[in-house]
Amino acid sequence: MSQSQTQSIFSSYEKDPKFYDEIFDEDGNVKKVYQTLFDLYSGHSSQDYARLNDKAKASFFNQGITFQVYNDNEAKEKIFPFDLFPRIIDPKEWEVIERGVLQRSKALNHFIWDIYHNKKIIKQGIVPLDLITSSANYLHQMIGVDPPGGIYNHISGTDLIKHSDGKYYVLEDNIRCPSGVSYVICNRTALKRALFGVFNHYNAHTVTDYAQNLLEMMETVKPRGVDEPNCVVITPGVYNSAYYEHSYLAKAMGVELVEGRDLFVENDFVYMQTIKGPERVDVIYRRIDDTFLDPLEFRPDSALGVPGLFSAYKKGNVCLVNAPGTGFADDKAVYTYMPEIIKYYLNEEPILNNVHTYHCSRPDELKYVLENVDKLVIKPVDEAGGYGISIGNRLTKEEIEKVKKTIKASPRKYIAQPIMSLSVHATYIEESESFESRHVDLRTFCLLGANKEFVLKGGLTRVALRKGNLIVNSSQGGGSKDTWVLKNKS
Amino acid sequence: MEYTIKYKAKNSYETQVTDALWQFLIAPQDNESQKLRLAEFKNSLNAATEESTNSLNFHIYRVIQRKAFKSIEFEANFIVRKEEVNPFSALDSIYNAEHYEQLNSLDFRISHEQFLNATELTSYPYTGVDFEFEENRSVFDNLQQLNSWLFSHFKFKQQVTDTRSTTQDFVTRGAGVCQDFTHLFLAIARKYKIPSRYTSGYLHQGNGYKGDSQMHAWVECYIPEKGWLGFDPTNNLIALENHIKVAHGKDYSDCAPIKGVLYTSSSINSTEYSVEVFAREENAPDVFSQSQSQSFGDHANQQQLDFQLQWQQQQQQQQQQLRQQSSDRF
Repeated sequence: MSQSQTQSIFSSYEKDPKFYDEIFDEDGNVKKVYQTLFDLYSGHSSQDYARLNDKAKASFFNQGITFQVYNDNEAKEKIFPFDLFPRIIDPKEWEVIERGVLQRSKALNHFIWDIYHNKKIIKQGIVPLDLITSSANYLHQMIGVDPPGGIYNHISGTDLIKHSDGKYYVLEDNIRCPSGVSYVICNRTALKRALFGVFNHYNAHTVTDYAQNLLEMMETVKPRGVDEPNCVVITPGVYNSAYYEHSYLAKAMGVELVEGRDLFVENDFVYMQTIKGPERVDVIYRRIDDTFLDPLEFRPDSALGVPGLFSAYKKGNVCLVNAPGTGFADDKAVYTYMPEIIKYYLNEEPILNNVHTYHCSRPDELKYVLENVDKLVIKPVDEAGGYGISIGNRLTKEEIEKVKKTIKASPRKYIAQPIMSLSVHATYIEESESFESRHVDLRTFCLLGANKEFVLKGGLTRVALRKGNLIVNSSQGGGSKDTWVLKNKS
Repeated sequence: MEYTIKYKAKNSYETQVTDALWQFLIAPQDNESQKLRLAEFKNSLNAATEESTNSLNFHIYRVIQRKAFKSIEFEANFIVRKEEVNPFSALDSIYNAEHYEQLNSLDFRISHEQFLNATELTSYPYTGVDFEFEENRSVFDNLQQLNSWLFSHFKFKQQVTDTRSTTQDFVTRGAGVCQDFTHLFLAIARKYKIPSRYTSGYLHQGNGYKGDSQMHAWVECYIPEKGWLGFDPTNNLIALENHIKVAHGKDYSDCAPIKGVLYTSSSINSTEYSVEVFAREENAPDVFSQSQSQSFGDHANQQQLDFQLQWQQQQQQQQQQLRQQSSDRF
């Protein structure tokens, strides 16, 4: 490898000490786990990458992996931008993530069970009552319901970021049928096709075992009295932005992909219409929202669900994955109580960090917030969807004074969090035909069944493709990276 | 007291419907004060009928029609026995600070949280409510006042509101039907932290008033030390043996008597309902008779008896008013 070639593809790479860099250490040296990859990549010219990039894109089109972007009143099929430079996580680092994600997932399951049964955590004064009952995702229909196997959040997608201190922090827990796992698997396929020689130099865990584990998990939560459960995936249909994922998972598990009109309920059992006649359905991986599940129990205008499904579920004759009504627990406001929730149900210290939250209702914390508005994000407790959020370092002096006044007027209504910075990772940028640093996060996938636990060894590393942008959502022009979790050398 | 109830519904559609499912929440509840002695449910197409329960464990009928049709009729017949329960106590009107403390206690609020929060249909109106609970007045009396306030400030009028009308619509118009009276009562009572639930059922208005009526709605409130008690703000009554309960819920959406899922190209349809409630015994009185109230026995507290009598008179008056005004004030 020659020095000039190295410069050609990493020449635009700017180092910003404000952010944690996943590839380069503080002195600008390549980190050990990336060394082999870096050496191999540096041996190629920028023309090689332009060609490889096209190859990877073609692989995505050929696999049929597209998503829809809704704007300008027309829906466009787009491929999910995929990046040629994988993220590598060493076994030690991964081990902590895996334990931490599983811990949160279990704690959330205990929490949801408690809220729909005894509400002990509220009686103990740990979580406020109004926080739960004011959530639109708290479903009174679920009170007293015992889901098969006692599991609510069968599938959790916990989003992690690495802050400038080099530590992982949880951004949020997604337990309302999180999506994205199909991209993880397709990223791997595309990368292997484009760069098989590179992949061969590393000993990374497979990600293609996800579907098998998903099916095994679903089989553990079968209704009582069922020997071999009949599992299906229900989708809102081809116009849904994640339809590709629904069909992929059904195919990979070898189960039927159905829509609401393919199912019906008779005497509180669920059946599927088939050419051989009705066939009983026992476990449903549902990719439709809670309120669309059953027009007789939730939104009466829903044409996506199955009339009578909730009665069948309540009677224990069918299992819904995830359970309805989990959404109150992955709420932003509940997030701030996660460390307490973990301690309360598991009697363990949280393994993964929560972003620290200052409650302005507590006088000493209020004092800190008022003195440090410029370093904090101020959020109203009761507003969802990003309303009323002030980001301290983007405010003028006058605006800061205004925010302070608002907080002082009703401190109970506000919380504050430090401004978190996402780590950066080398990312191939088409326009400059070189690698530049871009912000990344990591979505993990965790499965919880009756005596079945599984964390996918890998995940979706999402990339903010616009320079300096912190938003990694695919709808905001984000891309993704293949994520390698390395095996222990032994 | 025994009642027979006949519920009829007819649904007609402009074009053929190929596949349909209806759910009926119309069967009287079996509880401490009422026993469902007989129930029958049929339809004109002999479509399959199932029985199940809704999420709050109230009985439902489901009718599934898989063959094409344009019109279907349903008929349900029930015989219900209502126990005559005296809901009043001498303590009802005595202010007790502990009751209000209980309403504010965390454990109490946790056990009744389902019926303490405003819903879309029971949100507190922005303007137009000039009613307030009075301090140093018992919970029961405050709710009684609320009941009378609603009755005297709002007119019963059909076809000015529909099942999606908000409390604000009702307040602005000053008129509506039993759902609207009930939703506004719920909004106000819940504001004062009284667990309150929407209750649907049948009202016996007296024999001889048949046809053209619908199901009724009223409120059940949880009063500390006393338990759930029904208030009917449309008629300014306490729900007693004339109120035959079917179900309760947070608001109308939990208690809609009929829900349907249809596969059809036509959106035009017509629905006709009728409800008839008859007392089974000939000449049976509509309200407590003198002899029944004396059955409180020798040890009956005089105050209690007085209250009872006073209440009967009030009810009798209202029943008469009710008949004079219209035969279908619901």
